[in-house]
Amino acid sequence: MALLAALGSAVGVAANAVSPHPAVLGRAVLSAAEAGGGSCSMPASEATSSAPWRATRISVDEAKGLCTACLAGFVDARGPHEFAHGHIANAIHLPPVGHPDEGAAVAQLRAFPLVVVYDGEYSCAVADDVAARLKHAGLTDVRVLQGAWPAWVAAQGPAAAGMCGVCGLPEAKP
Amino acid sequence: MRRLRAPGGEALTAFTISAARLVLGALFLGASATKVPDMAAFAESVANYRIVPPALVPAAAAAVVGIEITASLAILANVWTRAAAWVLAALLAVFTAGLSSALARGIDLACGCFGGSSPATWSTVLRDLVLLALAVLVALSARARTASPSPRPDAASPS
Repeated sequence: MALLAALGSAVGVAANAVSPHPAVLGRAVLSAAEAGGGSCSMPASEATSSAPWRATRISVDEAKGLCTACLAGFVDARGPHEFAHGHIANAIHLPPVGHPDEGAAVAQLRAFPLVVVYDGEYSCAVADDVAARLKHAGLTDVRVLQGAWPAWVAAQGPAAAGMCGVCGLPEAKP
Repeated sequence: MRRLRAPGGEALTAFTISAARLVLGALFLGASATKVPDMAAFAESVANYRIVPPALVPAAAAAVVGIEITASLAILANVWTRAAAWVLAALLAVFTAGLSSALARGIDLACGCFGGSSPATWSTVLRDLVLLALAVLVALSARARTASPSPRPDAASPS
C-alpha cells in the first residue's frame, strides 16, 4: 500500500510536469479566503472544456476602474435579500428567475459598452446563467466578476457599497 | 448445521465485487483525467479546504492526482487490487473528512472532485461515503481471496 502511494506520488509529479497548467511545486497556494480575492476564477482549461457556457471573467480591479469611469453596467444576480443588504452602486437587479421588466433593464444595459454580472457564489454559476441570458438578449460584451460580491467587498472595504455613486444609469437606448 | 447457499450466490457476489472494482477504477481514472489539464486549478481547490499548509498544497495536489491515476489503473487491471482498494479507501476517507470539516466550518468551496467548479455539498459527502463503502468491500474481498486461496487442481496430483 505504501509502495503504491509512493509510486502514485511520483506519477503525480510527472503528471504535473506534463500538465499545460501545472501547480508550481514549492510555491505556497493560499485559499481564496486567505488570498482575499474570492474564488470563482476561470480554470485555464476552460477553452477546451465541454462544461456549460461560462462568461469571460473580469477582475475586481478592472471592474472598479470601469465602474468609476462609468464605462460598465453592473448586474446583481443574487437574491432580493442580498441585493437589499448591499450591492454595487447603480447595479441593476436581475435575479435568475427573471426581472419584471426585463426588456427595459436590458435596454438600460445596452447603453454601456460592457456589462459586468456578479453573484455571491463560489462557482459564479448564477452569474453565468444571467450573463448567458443577457448575451441571448443581444448584449455583446458581458462578463462575470471574478471573486463575486465577496471579492468586491474585500477589495473596497466598508465603503464598497457606496462606490461609483456618481454613475447614473444613462437613458435607455431603443 | 449446514449453511444453505442460494444457487448462483457466489457468482452474484463475484459479479458485485467486480462491478464495484470497475466503477471505482473508472470513476477515479476519470476524475484524475479531468484534473491533469489544469493542476494549478486543482491546487487552488485543495487550498480552499484549508487543511493542508499552503506551502505543501501543490505537492499534495500532485500526489493526490498521481495516486488516483496509479490506484485506479491497478484496480481496473486487477493488479495489486487489495492495496489499490485500500489506497482509494484512504483517499476517500480523507476527502470525506476534508469535505465534512469544510462544510461544518461553513466554508463555501468547490468540490474539486472532477476538476470542475461544482460546489461541495453534503450530498458530495454522501457520494464519497458510498464510494468508500465500495472500496472497503473490494479491499476486504481481495483479502479474503488472498487469505483462502482455492486449492489448485494439480496440487494433489503430482506428475
